[in-house]
Amino acid sequence: MRTLSILAFLAAALIVSAAAGILVGAVAIGPGDVLAALFGSNDTSGTIIRELRLPRVLGAALVGGSLATAGALLQGLLRNPLADPFVTGTSAGATLAAVAAIVLGLAAPLVPLAAFAGALVTVTLVWRLARLGGGTTVLTVLLAGVVLTSFAGAVVTFLLVSSDRLALQLRAVLGWLQGGVSVISWPELGVAALVVALGLGFALVLAHRVDAYAFGEETAATLGVDPDRTTTAVLGATALLSGAAVALAGLVGFVGLVIPHALRFVIGATHRRLVPASFLTGAAALVLADLGARTIIAPAELPVGAITGLIGAPFFLALLVRSRRIVI
Amino acid sequence: MRSRVVVLLAVLLLTLASCGGAVSVSPSPRVAASPFPATLSDFQNRSVTVPSRPERLVSIGPSITAFLFALGAGPRVIGVDDFSDEPAEAATREHVGGIKVNFEKVVALKPDLVFSVKFSDGTIEKLQAASLNVLVVDPQSVSDVAKTATLLGKAVGADGEALARSIQQRVDAVRAKTANVANRPRVYHEIDASDPAKIFTVGPGSYINDLIEIAGGANIAARAASAYPQLSAEEILKTDPEIIVLAADAYSPKPGDVAARQGWSIIAAVKNNRILTIDPNLINRPGPRVGEAAEAYAKLVHPELFR
Repeated sequence: MRTLSILAFLAAALIVSAAAGILVGAVAIGPGDVLAALFGSNDTSGTIIRELRLPRVLGAALVGGSLATAGALLQGLLRNPLADPFVTGTSAGATLAAVAAIVLGLAAPLVPLAAFAGALVTVTLVWRLARLGGGTTVLTVLLAGVVLTSFAGAVVTFLLVSSDRLALQLRAVLGWLQGGVSVISWPELGVAALVVALGLGFALVLAHRVDAYAFGEETAATLGVDPDRTTTAVLGATALLSGAAVALAGLVGFVGLVIPHALRFVIGATHRRLVPASFLTGAAALVLADLGARTIIAPAELPVGAITGLIGAPFFLALLVRSRRIVI
Repeated sequence: MRSRVVVLLAVLLLTLASCGGAVSVSPSPRVAASPFPATLSDFQNRSVTVPSRPERLVSIGPSITAFLFALGAGPRVIGVDDFSDEPAEAATREHVGGIKVNFEKVVALKPDLVFSVKFSDGTIEKLQAASLNVLVVDPQSVSDVAKTATLLGKAVGADGEALARSIQQRVDAVRAKTANVANRPRVYHEIDASDPAKIFTVGPGSYINDLIEIAGGANIAARAASAYPQLSAEEILKTDPEIIVLAADAYSPKPGDVAARQGWSIIAAVKNNRILTIDPNLINRPGPRVGEAAEAYAKLVHPELFR
């Protein structure tokens, strides 16, 4: 019952954030017109709301929700509060694969699939690296993430600069790499929503197994959880969620780190509760961050990644200091 | 805009009169024989003295290069920036760099006069430190173009006034055609849409804003705060441009891409299939072809006037 009321509260917070995101924009549109627009009024305001603001807000919600859920799963699997798709290099791997797909001229719906594949390869690599020598330590995961992120970044730069043929795509790719959910089309949103739904579904089903993991792999095994199959499934769900987020918005950092971690303090570490709560909170948080990105220096606009970095990086540092004893 | 020509002629007469002294109404023979040494005030209000007719010219700025060739000083141009490709012959000169000037190359060419657009990174100062005579020329608007022709004419000892007059005549001819149009269609000119949320367009004080006005259009960003403002897609939809102009190079969006943008189908220009393209080299440079540029733009905005 307590779980339900927490989730109901978070869902309400998401709806309020989304309403704010739809009400505020470059062109002032009154609440009455916004309501009319949502019910299909056919003028300019209607088009601005339905074709520009609504997909942007929904996109932000999907990206934030996916990243936070992926973060919750990774933190549980690695038993490490400092893991998320961004710091483990999973997002960078997805970015690399997506850039490669764009550069090779693959059709737009294939880009999220490529991002998913890139995320899967990277997160599996991180998992393997973290397990070298037995246990998974915070330090190894972070180092593996740093290495993979710089490697992916180097390859992306190489891809973008190396060939004349790519110059045609350069501006499109750079615009997308900057991150942010500024312009998202309905078809993109549709594909991403499907992938996210799949990932979130897996995450919800897997949540109780991740709980068993909290006591260590051996204990999990005695509780009847097959560690290898669970690991594979969790990594797969993480990759689906991170891949969809990257395909929609490029590199957006720290949402996956901050949201699940903060939630653990408030609602406890039970993943059956943490996974859906992370999705709702992450979604609301990124919708608000995007609202900030559009309004703080209006009429200019920040990439939403700048906002999440601004808030998330100091938070990450504080966590690192707190967890120093785990590292050593 | 007849008044502008009159003012120009008055300035011309005054200049000649002051050069020739109070007694002389016709140009003095001494002035005609040698305008040098000439002391000129450049686009940064620096006073630059050209001691004798310059023979080795380096031009850093594609529009400057175009002017020098139009003034007949092309044979004396020995070095140009990497972007100077107009006229085609200009590109055969030594290249001295693009966004970053290659100082060693400029010095090695031993120019007796260097023309350069404005730089904010100390390029002009560095050139001067290398004991080069530098004249800063940076036309930004249509009215700057005549001023540039005159200034460069004086600097190289050519008839800049005549070039300025012929440019002005051609611009005025376009103005005369569009002066009495019944409607001024709303024009949105796209510069760069790499960030689809904040698209660069042209605002007041920019050369293309002048062209739109001369062409008989109404720039949707005419009241923006800067010469190159950024608009969100929301704002573009709100202003509902009747004509969209793309100065499309190989790498920028095509009319089909623009029409396919989410939500843009509601824009009048998209509905009426009036997403038009124009040669970027023609309209991005405030050069001697400004008359041609104004005409090309006017043909897009008011095709009915050119049948």
